[in-house]
Amino acid sequence: MFNLEQAIAEWRRHMLAAGVENPNVLDELESHLRDDVEQRKRLGASTQESFESAVQRIGQPAALESEFAKAGAGRGARLQRLKGAFLRFIGLTPPYPNALTASAREILELGDKEARGFHHDFIGTEHVLLGLLESKTGVVPAVLQRMGVDSRLVRSEIEKIVGNGPMARPGHSLPYTPRVKKALQLAGGEARVLKQPRIGCEHIFLGLLLEGGGVAALVLKTLGVNIGAAREQILLHLGRKERDT
Amino acid sequence: MYDFDMIERELVAASTEPLILSLLSKGESYGYELIQEVRRLSGDKIKWTDGMLYPVLHRMEATGWIQSRWVESENGRKRKYYSINKDGHQALKDKREQWTLISSVLSGLWKGQHV
Repeated sequence: MFNLEQAIAEWRRHMLAAGVENPNVLDELESHLRDDVEQRKRLGASTQESFESAVQRIGQPAALESEFAKAGAGRGARLQRLKGAFLRFIGLTPPYPNALTASAREILELGDKEARGFHHDFIGTEHVLLGLLESKTGVVPAVLQRMGVDSRLVRSEIEKIVGNGPMARPGHSLPYTPRVKKALQLAGGEARVLKQPRIGCEHIFLGLLLEGGGVAALVLKTLGVNIGAAREQILLHLGRKERDT
Repeated sequence: MYDFDMIERELVAASTEPLILSLLSKGESYGYELIQEVRRLSGDKIKWTDGMLYPVLHRMEATGWIQSRWVESENGRKRKYYSINKDGHQALKDKREQWTLISSVLSGLWKGQHV
């Protein structure tokens, strides 16, 4: 004789084994399963048939788990992944956890968000540049302002060049374009030249300019930002900050 | 991720959030009811793999468009109800403009054409 309660308990164990471990999520899925079973029984199916169809309909435990993992991947986990990926690009491997400043890590996170905002399934130089503009702690908006460039203009120039992608919020982690990788390598070089122990926003900004061929460099060039002046303004800005503190 | 024997996968995926936001703008609801409603309104042509709706709901809640609460019914069964908030209404407004634009461009192009 088919026992619904036993079958549901068994199904929960299967979900748990596949990695759906959050009891709230399991409760919600169980509530759904019970609704579906009841509905099917009302339409004339036996309890067992109803249960089996409902389980089929709700989806494979492993597939569900991977979707929940994507939805639940918090800021912390994503930052960790970005950081690991970044360090590999510039030829360092963790254990060099301090190679990026906190604000530079924030930039890469913001760049990821910008890419998703455009529905792009890659992170390009334009997204990193927008990330630099959005950062509250970074020096880049201040430096641009000193060079007479309005941050909002940079954004509108970028939006003129790139369009929205067709993808609906890709859930996987987005890859960097080769130009971004190159720019990050160059940022590492800038930090070393300036004898900085870690790579900050300002180095990433210079890296984007030095890379030269990406959307970021193109837009900055259009707005009259050149590498020499940018280096100068950054040094001035950093020097002033040191005096202030 | 989705059953897409009728409507293409990407289109179903892209329309999930606007559909959820639109349904919730009519009142609080729970996952099973949302799925049934979409199936009914689309004449069974939009079919989600049921369980896949929940990660989407959780992501939308994390984004800050919707919120949820557990409600216990008279027979002791619990259901998680979702409702739309202010940011969700704004997101819906944005999405509605986008979908309306796409729809009107296509309608304009297809006017007078017979397929």
